[in-house]
Amino acid sequence: MAIDKIRYPEFLERVAREIDIPPHKYRDAVRRYQAVGRWLEDGEYSGCSGEVVIYPQGSFRLGTVVRPVRLGVAAGYDIDLVCELPSTKGVTTPQLIKHSVGDRLKQHDTYSRLLDDEGRRCWTLEYAEEDDIGFHLDVLPAIPDSGLTDTAIAITHKHDWGYDWSASDPRGYAAWFDGKNQAAFVRHAPEQKLAIQRLESHIYARIDDVPDQLVRTPLQRAIQLMKRNRDLHFNRPETVAYAPISIIITTLAAHLYGGEGHAHSALVAIVEALQRHAALVDNRAIDPGLAGLGLIRRLPDGSWYIANPVNSDENFADRWHEDGHARARAFFSWLEALQTDLLNPPTHLDPRRFKEHLARALGGAAVAPHADMLVRPAPEVTPRRRVHISNPAKPWRSG
Amino acid sequence: MAQRVTLALEGQIAELVSAYPQLAVVRRRQAETTIAGPLAFEAAPDDLEAISVSFDIELTVPHTFPKRLPRATETGGRIRGADYEHVFTDGTLCLGVPIQQRRVLSEQPTLLGFVERLLIPYLYGFCFWRKHGRHPFGEAAHGPEGILQHYLDLLGLDDPLAVLGAIRLLCERGYDARQRCPCGSGRRVRDCHRAALRGLHNHHTPETLRTDFRAIYDACHQRFQRGQLSFPRPMRRQLHRLLKRLQRPTHHLGSVHASR
Repeated sequence: MAIDKIRYPEFLERVAREIDIPPHKYRDAVRRYQAVGRWLEDGEYSGCSGEVVIYPQGSFRLGTVVRPVRLGVAAGYDIDLVCELPSTKGVTTPQLIKHSVGDRLKQHDTYSRLLDDEGRRCWTLEYAEEDDIGFHLDVLPAIPDSGLTDTAIAITHKHDWGYDWSASDPRGYAAWFDGKNQAAFVRHAPEQKLAIQRLESHIYARIDDVPDQLVRTPLQRAIQLMKRNRDLHFNRPETVAYAPISIIITTLAAHLYGGEGHAHSALVAIVEALQRHAALVDNRAIDPGLAGLGLIRRLPDGSWYIANPVNSDENFADRWHEDGHARARAFFSWLEALQTDLLNPPTHLDPRRFKEHLARALGGAAVAPHADMLVRPAPEVTPRRRVHISNPAKPWRSG
Repeated sequence: MAQRVTLALEGQIAELVSAYPQLAVVRRRQAETTIAGPLAFEAAPDDLEAISVSFDIELTVPHTFPKRLPRATETGGRIRGADYEHVFTDGTLCLGVPIQQRRVLSEQPTLLGFVERLLIPYLYGFCFWRKHGRHPFGEAAHGPEGILQHYLDLLGLDDPLAVLGAIRLLCERGYDARQRCPCGSGRRVRDCHRAALRGLHNHHTPETLRTDFRAIYDACHQRFQRGQLSFPRPMRRQLHRLLKRLQRPTHHLGSVHASR
């Protein structure tokens, strides 16, 4: 038996589908957050006048959602929902906004039961599911912010000493990401929607019923695979804190995606370009062309800078210098692992050990249904031929 | 000159591939065809354990087979990685002293015969050696010494010069039953080493005979240099005559065998 490298890109696509949210789960999630949204929209909030706006943000919005694995155990999907109340910083406080939303959720019988303790920025509703794949619905209270863009919002932040505002722009970020993804979306959407409709005809009667949010471009697949490998790579309590955050992975990948046709080729391009930044750890210069893009930078004080593409004041890498640049070092060592675990897997291993390797890199449950496609079975249909040895030659060597 | 693959050889390739369906023709050149793939078998000699195993092998078959023998290599890296002595530097497996290979092959002179009588016993021997640290069928010494030893065993002789005389005779005159036997018994060949000499004559080609003569001469010469033997004067003259002839193009030797 041998490992079939040619089918590896197709294998990665299948694993990415496996770690994605399945269409029926997506439909349930949308129904749930719409119900929560309606409940929040119908609420009365002091100091607010106008319409409450509810919309998803983060991986659920970007189409990069991955079934999470926390410390090696499969966990529920995370859905982030922005609840934007019609107010301004001048007439309200972060604490008031946070608790207005919290109080409204507590008024609902079901939601009050599902509601977790108050988080730093959000309220979390814990949905347990009959098949154990649940959701965490994070509701993020916010108000419009008169910032750089008309999509900017101010979100609340709970510190030890009290509440504060912080800036965010999830709709602006999503629009930026969509721009990077658009051409590939146009290329891949018709074929993928057709495939989803055929597979899930009980959910979607017509192709047009399949939502755009279920289409995955090679960029989105590449991000999903990177996030899954990240979750497994940083799966120990002492390393989990240094794992690169999803927004960094998503931002850098979207910058570097060059329209490749498969997740595997997209990953190769993204990871190789990122690896060429590794000299930054030793504060050495990198390729000038790459430096010109300014994706990852060292500031004069030695700290790190990865810009939010829609708000350059926001630095996604603002903690990378802490603990002796632990997050920066972890990021670049993870890239190396990605290279050997995912991009150039050790196909010389025997099939059993190769499957174990893939399971460590992508998760056993996601790999198991598809690993066999990589193993060319020996066409050994008949039992081994029996040979009787009599009067053999002795082995020799000419010199 | 390059020879195209004959119908007979095509038939033998088909026979081999049908017996070992994982093998396939991977390359065709003007003068040789290469067959490669996993060779899975279960082999057992009479009184030793059975071994079931599969090796990735590559077999390059000259289109003049069986006049010239195929070269076999193991491509999975198991033999090369094992520090096994019986491998040429180019990776070709040393299945045995050439004339012994020819003798063994003569029992089934087809490609399947080559695989099942030479290659598989060799691979079995390798597995056995890995497991037990010894060769189940013995092993030949390296180089000319191994060839000389093989002839000594084959002819049941102790004297290297007698072997040299026998191979010289085969080179110069082919098989002739009425000759005095080269072993020095004083009897005619037909009353002495008839079967062995006839067998050698039949299994050799002019080319292989010449190679073996040189090898045995070299082995004797090494002993001579170590003072272990001396060449009697009449033999020296015969050897010089033959060595001189061997330096000329091979068809001079071939003409000796034209009467065969």
